Amino acid sequence: MLPIAHAGHWLTGIAYFLPVICFLVWLGITQLRERRARGGRGRER
Amino acid sequence: MFLIAHGISVRTDLPVPEVIFWWAASIVLAVSFVALAVLWPKPRLEDRAWRPLPGGIGRVLASRVVEIVCGAIGLFLFALTIYAGFEGTQSTTANWTPIFVYVIFWLAFVPLSVLFGDIFRAFNPWRAIGRAVAGVARRVTRSELPEPLAYPAWLGRWPAAAGIFGFAALELVVSGGDKPETLAVAILVYSALTFVGMALYGVEQWTRRAEAFGVYYNLFSRISPFETRDGEVGLRKPLSGLPHVEQLPGTVPLLMVMIGTVSFDGFTSKRTWNSRSPDISQSFQDHLSLTPEHALELTFLLGMLAMVLLISGFYRLGILGARSVGGGFSATRLSREFVHSLVPIAVAYVGAHYFTLLLYQGQALAYLASDPLGHGSDIFGTAGTEVSYGLIGSNVEWYVKVAMIVTGHVAGLILAHDRAVALYRDAREAVRSQYWMLGVMLGFTLLAIWLVSESNT
Repeated sequence: MLPIAHAGHWLTGIAYFLPVICFLVWLGITQLRERRARGGRGRER
Repeated sequence: MFLIAHGISVRTDLPVPEVIFWWAASIVLAVSFVALAVLWPKPRLEDRAWRPLPGGIGRVLASRVVEIVCGAIGLFLFALTIYAGFEGTQSTTANWTPIFVYVIFWLAFVPLSVLFGDIFRAFNPWRAIGRAVAGVARRVTRSELPEPLAYPAWLGRWPAAAGIFGFAALELVVSGGDKPETLAVAILVYSALTFVGMALYGVEQWTRRAEAFGVYYNLFSRISPFETRDGEVGLRKPLSGLPHVEQLPGTVPLLMVMIGTVSFDGFTSKRTWNSRSPDISQSFQDHLSLTPEHALELTFLLGMLAMVLLISGFYRLGILGARSVGGGFSATRLSREFVHSLVPIAVAYVGAHYFTLLLYQGQALAYLASDPLGHGSDIFGTAGTEVSYGLIGSNVEWYVKVAMIVTGHVAGLILAHDRAVALYRDAREAVRSQYWMLGVMLGFTLLAIWLVSESNT
């Protein structure tokens, strides 16, 4: 029960770091897209 | 551990939850980033455009007379601070020395430098003494003094980084670092080292590269629209002094120390630190047989060092990310190319963290000017003045702090973007490199807000 009882605190913590989480997700997607685009260009050559 | 209560009042009634400020600050950064990518395709801050102040005011402000008067004022305050430290009462709040050193000297020159340029250079007592001694020596010997040694290139700004770290350690680590006599001794030790450096490498060279406070305030002054060139004060674009900071060794560590030590000061008020530091200190007592006082000092010293390394690691991570974009630059090169963008962030950290200390403890100057030794004198009739803690409300204080943090980081983004479009041949590569700098700025912004917030206290 203890983890569930602490969930409220975790959620508050996540709320504070939501911008960082959003940024990391966006950065990850961007990097993945660029890697795929580079790979695609490589195969075309 | 000086005047620990930087935050004087407790904030309980913000109209919106605190977390909204975190989100709003992040959104401002993201919007600024997009706006820069779209509207700022060419470097605008790299040129050295400058025009003198109209009506010959610039020449008057930079004249020899003004320089001598400012130097004499600096020298008088320097002597008073040492004298009061030794001869005055040893109470931290009733003696001129701690308030002057930690509030006026250390804090007030930051906004003054940002607004009016490198005015500390004119008041710098070590430079004034060095120049006066050199002048007297020239007159006495009736000949030119021998040329100073060439300043070692590898030394760069390392002495300044060490000096600022040492000063922060005195303030935050040393037990009794706020005692007037301790401060007076520290000033004398620092002065002796400075004069040796000036004697070896020349007054101007040492002041420009190694004298910790001269270098520190010079960096801040580069944000200002005012700059002195060829004996005349003139105007330039705000921020445009920063891209021209010489990329000397030790500059990156200096910025890391500047941001890291202020961060550590904020961190020491957090529960995370206060719940663990007693155990760490106890283990030093047990394993190293240190006294409780020295164990605590070692704990704080290592904590401060760890914070500086953490900040350095974070910046390094951003740089490694920027390097992965391409362009063929080494991480060291990129680290030096972008380090000037951290100066406004350092200002934001200092401003947000010490704003209230300057606002409230700065008022103590009124009674200390009349009674600098704390012996009951009343020279100007202001000895009975009291500090008014009700100048601004706690909410306004919070808004000002958040505004300073966001403004400083947006300025950092602008500088980093401007450098990127100057450095990378491909505009797309420049913008992509800034994804990582956006991450650095976002991280520094949220850390700064957390440090001044009431969460985890």
